[in-house]
Amino acid sequence: MYTLQRHTRRPTWSFRGLDRLQRQTNQVLRASDATPDSRRGVYPPVNLHESEEGFSLTAEIPGVTSEALEVSIEGTTVTLAGSRKPQHVATDETAVHRRERLNGTFRRAFQLPAEIDLDKARATHRNGVLTLDLPKSPALRPRQIPVETP
Amino acid sequence: MATNRSTEIEAREKAELATEDTRTGHVFRPDVDILEHPDAYVILADMPGVSEETVDIHLEKGILTMDARDGTDSPDSTKRYSEYRSGGYHREFRISEDIDTTTVSAQMRDGVLELRLPKSVASQPRRIEVSAA
Repeated sequence: MYTLQRHTRRPTWSFRGLDRLQRQTNQVLRASDATPDSRRGVYPPVNLHESEEGFSLTAEIPGVTSEALEVSIEGTTVTLAGSRKPQHVATDETAVHRRERLNGTFRRAFQLPAEIDLDKARATHRNGVLTLDLPKSPALRPRQIPVETP
Repeated sequence: MATNRSTEIEAREKAELATEDTRTGHVFRPDVDILEHPDAYVILADMPGVSEETVDIHLEKGILTMDARDGTDSPDSTKRYSEYRSGGYHREFRISEDIDTTTVSAQMRDGVLELRLPKSVASQPRRIEVSAA
């Protein structure tokens, strides 16, 4: 079983230390768990699928525009970064009844389990979901070898 | 403050609703912002993964209902790692003020539903000029 490893998460709020510790514990406990779970605290949430041809990494990022999104791949490390800005500015005359949606910045890096074909990697962004299609390096793809009869 | 530009987004798991109807799959409660301007309510709802044609909005007897179906196909591959589940969304609100239902507008952008519910003219605040007798 493959697992994703994450790094470059910078601690920002010191009073969130406990929360973070809890999160890291969850990460350790669940790092090899491929079932949907109640993981908290890392944004954006991602899913990773694998086929013979490659990987598909999807991330839920509602409200993040394509312009505010940065995707980079270096070797087997994929980095997602971006920000979400408030879509509506409240004026003095605006009453805020609910404010559940969060704005801010994010950055996450993943280690892919295998080399990919960087030239064929594609990123699409639709309905608030980012999809990275990451074909495996040709050397890793299964191949049919025709059997020749002499 | 959550609106601060330099704040890192804290992730939260999508809250799943216990469905009482016959539809299959997961249904989540979308995170929303509700703002009230003098002339209109604006509701923003995070609904990643659904496309606009599956979104259904109802306003009846002061109850606003937002409903969306899952628009993502499950890929033909093996799941290796999962932090979120796909599904539909559902949420209801009671709107106490009169809404001008003929001018309600809704649009989906980057997985966010934006609803604008203009107040009916009768319920908008008005400045009453006091004239000297």
